[in-house]
Amino acid sequence: MPCAMSPGDAIGARTPSLLRLRAHPLKIALVGNPNVGKSVVFGRLTGRYATVSNYPGTTVAITSGRALVGAEVCDVIDTPGVNALEGVLSEDERITKQLLVTGGAELVIQVADARNLRRALMLTSQIADTGLPMILVLNMSDEAHARGITIDIASLSDHLGIPVIEAVAPDGRGVAELREALPSARRARAADHARMSHADWADAGAKSFRKMSVVSRGRFQEWIGRAVRKPLTGLPILALVLYLTYLFVGVFGAQTLVGALEEGLFNGIINPAAIAAAARIPFPLIRDFLVGQYGVITMGLTYAIAIVLPVVTTFFLVFGFLEDSGYIPRLAIFSDRLFRSMGLNGKAVLPMILGLGCDTMATMTTRILGTPKERLIAITLLALGVPCSAQLATIMGILGGISVWALLLLFGVVLSQMVLVGFLAARALPGDRSDFILELPPIRLPRLRNLLTKTLIRVRWYLGEAVPLFLIGTALLFALDRVGALEQLTRVARPVVTGALGLPGESAEVFVMGFLRRDYGAAGLFRMAHDGSLSGVQSVVALTVMTLFVPCVANLLMIIKERGVRVGLAILAAVTVIALGTGSALNFALSILHVAF
Amino acid sequence: MMTSIPTPLAQLKPGTRGRVARITRDLTGRAERLAALGVTPGASITVLQTFPGIVFECDQTELAVERAVARSIFVLAE
Repeated sequence: MPCAMSPGDAIGARTPSLLRLRAHPLKIALVGNPNVGKSVVFGRLTGRYATVSNYPGTTVAITSGRALVGAEVCDVIDTPGVNALEGVLSEDERITKQLLVTGGAELVIQVADARNLRRALMLTSQIADTGLPMILVLNMSDEAHARGITIDIASLSDHLGIPVIEAVAPDGRGVAELREALPSARRARAADHARMSHADWADAGAKSFRKMSVVSRGRFQEWIGRAVRKPLTGLPILALVLYLTYLFVGVFGAQTLVGALEEGLFNGIINPAAIAAAARIPFPLIRDFLVGQYGVITMGLTYAIAIVLPVVTTFFLVFGFLEDSGYIPRLAIFSDRLFRSMGLNGKAVLPMILGLGCDTMATMTTRILGTPKERLIAITLLALGVPCSAQLATIMGILGGISVWALLLLFGVVLSQMVLVGFLAARALPGDRSDFILELPPIRLPRLRNLLTKTLIRVRWYLGEAVPLFLIGTALLFALDRVGALEQLTRVARPVVTGALGLPGESAEVFVMGFLRRDYGAAGLFRMAHDGSLSGVQSVVALTVMTLFVPCVANLLMIIKERGVRVGLAILAAVTVIALGTGSALNFALSILHVAF
Repeated sequence: MMTSIPTPLAQLKPGTRGRVARITRDLTGRAERLAALGVTPGASITVLQTFPGIVFECDQTELAVERAVARSIFVLAE
């Protein structure tokens, strides 16, 4: 029986005996350097999916799940990657440290990249200092072998006094052995035992147990890895990636698929059928609520499913592919200088690009940044300028049909606002930025399975979270319209909307929706652009203002959770003022220059 | 050829191999953070790229750093 353990095995009181009656499930923490595959091992042990990508910082919060080990249920906890448990730590590293020191973790599975034994041992030594029993999993051993690296597992295990397991977690190799080894977890004999520094001890360990033979480095992946980081090849590749993304998301998703769903499915079949069915309902109020101008089916469901869903899906596919390839962190090399002018460093490219998926999640990812000042600036920039996938959907849906120049103008204006605000914030706010030091993950061919799982989960999340909100928003708009409040609001907003922004009066209601979620507002603009009540220039101005607004209620709540109410409200106020100001200036400039799209 | 004077990483050409001799210590904890990534005295280093950012391989880890960081890493080139 894998869980059985004879009393003679125990060394020290903290060694868990898995068969003893316990008041709560054994708490097992998965700990390791960033990007070594902790979330993959987590998925293999618990059967739950934690987002798996190929860059350091995918996991920034604790995820837990249940796993059956032998006959016993255990709590397995996936943690943010750590390079150290001592010294200067970033916010996500502190979360992991806290779990080990005071958070009740009883057993540690250290997941390591088999290639990087030296760094793994440096961490082993620090985990040993916590006194917790542990197991070392050398993951990605296939990649290590491909690089000519072999590790003497048996001797290493003897040296450390703990089980050491070779694994290729995505294929499930080594996972059964890991389950079997859990009862044999021990406190490791490490630097403290040898009276050495962590670094020296790890150095000595790597030298004695790792053999490296010289292998040719001509692999295709390494060639790509080189090409994407050199300016001469890297910048054209970046342009190509952006162009292909535009083709897939902006043309195929936002035009072909949206066209088929909106015109074919909704306007052709569902909406007429719904209207016909609703005609039998004797109450006009309910009829209007379902299929009227602000009806949940004719407006809400049509936007959510026909307009946003195809773009969100195509976007998440491309996005997942880029995440898993290891490409995104390499962009930090090119953007470091730009980000430094904004009080950040190249590392900030990660939350910024993640924001294109979802600004709320990206706000959490700012935990990987080094200082509070950097986090504040990055969170503000996310709220201000980075359009999330749902919003990209509506932007591309509207402007894709007008002209590519309109699209470029919008992104140009938004980007320059971000740089300007970042530049000013970097100088106005107290504090420092941290050094730019970033680990580049190996370039890998994404696994189709992970890509599809990840996309499916993200789409399901969109359907489960965004669609209900979308419907609530539609219902709210319907109610406001009924009680006459919409008219009042529109009248109040009219001077700004029609005057400074030069938009039709009815777009005021769109901005009301936009406060709830930017993309609903943008979806309203989509309808107006389609039925011809918005000109090309008006579309660009309206979308620019909408893009610069705070993304959604959820994002605002996340900002408040991460940085406090005061900061949250300050960001909201600043962003709203900047959005309206920029829109007015843009409208003024475009009308003076007689630009038309 | 072995030079006996450690040179800052920021001044080395792409393709240069060597070993870390020392890392300038300051109050920001830069040396500590580098150590956590495996950049410690004695570690082997290969310079991969110097523009727009500095990229080097240390042991099996590929790292991108800004120039200021590269100036505080002193390397004995081989």
